[in-house]
Amino acid sequence: MHLFMEKKIKSQDKNINFGKFYRNTLVPYAFTSPALLVFIFVILSPVIFSLILSFYKFTGFDSNFFKQFTGFENFKILFHDKFFWISLRNTFYFVIASITVQIALALIISIFIFFGNFKNSVLLRTIIFFPAVLAPVAVSLAWRKMLEQDGVVNRIFHLSFPWISSVHAAIWVVIFVSIWQWTGYNMVIFYAGLQSVDREILEAADVDGATWWGKIMRIIIPSIFPTIILNVILNLVGSFRVFDIVYVLTRGGPVHSSEVLTTIMYYYSFSANGPNKMGVGSAIAFIMFAIMIIFGVLRVRFLKRGV
Amino acid sequence: MALGKRKAAIQGDSYNVKYGFSLKKDPGIFILSRVVIIIAIILIVFPILYIFSLSIRTKATVYQDILFLIPKAVTLQNYKDAWNYAATNLNVSFLEMFRNSIIASFSSIIIAIVIAALASFSFSQFKFKGKELTFTTIIASFVIPAQVLLIPLFFILQKLGVINTYLAVIIPYVGFLIPIAVLILRSFFEEIPKEIKESAKVDGASDIRVFLQIVLPLSKPAIASCIILLFLETWNEFIFALVYLQNPKIQTITVAIAKIAGGKYIVPIGMYGASIMITIIPVLIIFLVFQKWFIAGMTLGAVKG
Repeated sequence: MHLFMEKKIKSQDKNINFGKFYRNTLVPYAFTSPALLVFIFVILSPVIFSLILSFYKFTGFDSNFFKQFTGFENFKILFHDKFFWISLRNTFYFVIASITVQIALALIISIFIFFGNFKNSVLLRTIIFFPAVLAPVAVSLAWRKMLEQDGVVNRIFHLSFPWISSVHAAIWVVIFVSIWQWTGYNMVIFYAGLQSVDREILEAADVDGATWWGKIMRIIIPSIFPTIILNVILNLVGSFRVFDIVYVLTRGGPVHSSEVLTTIMYYYSFSANGPNKMGVGSAIAFIMFAIMIIFGVLRVRFLKRGV
Repeated sequence: MALGKRKAAIQGDSYNVKYGFSLKKDPGIFILSRVVIIIAIILIVFPILYIFSLSIRTKATVYQDILFLIPKAVTLQNYKDAWNYAATNLNVSFLEMFRNSIIASFSSIIIAIVIAALASFSFSQFKFKGKELTFTTIIASFVIPAQVLLIPLFFILQKLGVINTYLAVIIPYVGFLIPIAVLILRSFFEEIPKEIKESAKVDGASDIRVFLQIVLPLSKPAIASCIILLFLETWNEFIFALVYLQNPKIQTITVAIAKIAGGKYIVPIGMYGASIMITIIPVLIIFLVFQKWFIAGMTLGAVKG
């Protein structure tokens, strides 16, 4: 009797278990499986493929990529290539400028518009944000024309400086154009963050006779700190992968002086007048991937915590 | 709750007039803010107006202008020239470029949103083993620079025989868009009250029906913002279109336009301006019409977590 009951309970358990399995595993995974499949085929397998390719020597014309294993040869080529180091340095400049200058500008503009009592703050925000919706290619083409030696920038300032064909200035010009395009984007995100500043604290500070400088530094900036971090991470990721602006403005030139990691990878692998060494290109991708993983871990942690 | 806050951030007014900068109480910062914002506006607006003014100048007056912006003689000939130049020298007309961009952009958006909505529904609706891990992997791919995939995907797509077809860019785009869409849609789906979904289930609705008839209709605003964000990502995309679409007939607008200016031939300055304007004007119109959604979409992608 006792044994019988136990058996019955067990079989019920089994049914419950299958129902549970159906509800808790089968159905959820059925819904997520298309996304997972795309992830495996479009992201994961190419990444692994690329990591392996960076240890092989091959050109775009080889039908068999795995013909010639070269070990770390591709990486050695890179480490002996002066222009690779320049591109790494320029990417670093890009990242630093976008997380300092660009964020500072966006922060100042957003605070000024938010607290500035402007009559039409929506219009101001819309205008400053507008470049962010344009194609970086179109923006770069426009600036390229304006920065030519007989272009409008030189005409305004009565100069004849070769902005984009100067070895020293080119990378900074590219960074300037990028800041021009993306400051409004950071600004709008800051603007959303500013909504959460506690007005009662600001009013209390007013009663105590605080100046605006004090309120901005002691109350406003600390209370939107998460938004600042968010913008830092966004710009870090964004400026690390910049390609369009450099490619259109300078093609990495003159003499590779404004090359960044993405453009030198394009030069090594696909450029018509490049060396057509796809293995080396893959090695650059490997290095970018490795650097990005570090950023990625930070970003995912942050996203999961939420803002 | 959080949703309301963000909506206010996007559409709402600025700080209460009473507590903002006032000319009487804090003249310093009041004037400084005016100066800074005016400079910012000039810096943003000038290049756009300048290119527009270039595009309507006659050949003779390219270097003659008032205050750099107002042309002395106006013509629409540059637009005609640019239109013809593309058709004869690039083997692709502007209409074809737009068609190509629309096909590449919208097919990838539709596929990505359908797939992402299914996954987001699963993340918001069920508790299951490996949920955190699955979610993390999907959104983590968001931070991988797309260029890392440029070389390997090229060979994979070549093996599939789709290089130089629309699929060559649609496949990678779908891969890049899904994480962004999941990020936005999941948090929206989670804000839909549980009671609504539960009551439908009590009435015997299946998961699919809850998804199609309750969750999706309630998330129309989220999906609209999402579409705009993904539209910008794909419409402005350059490097994959540049490498994977070698056939001029199916090149997208960004690639074709880069060819006009970066090509071997030096094009007349007015035509140069006109071709930039032709690419900007459609985006400008869409931006003005859907302004609210644009800012919402672009900040949601970033702020929602």
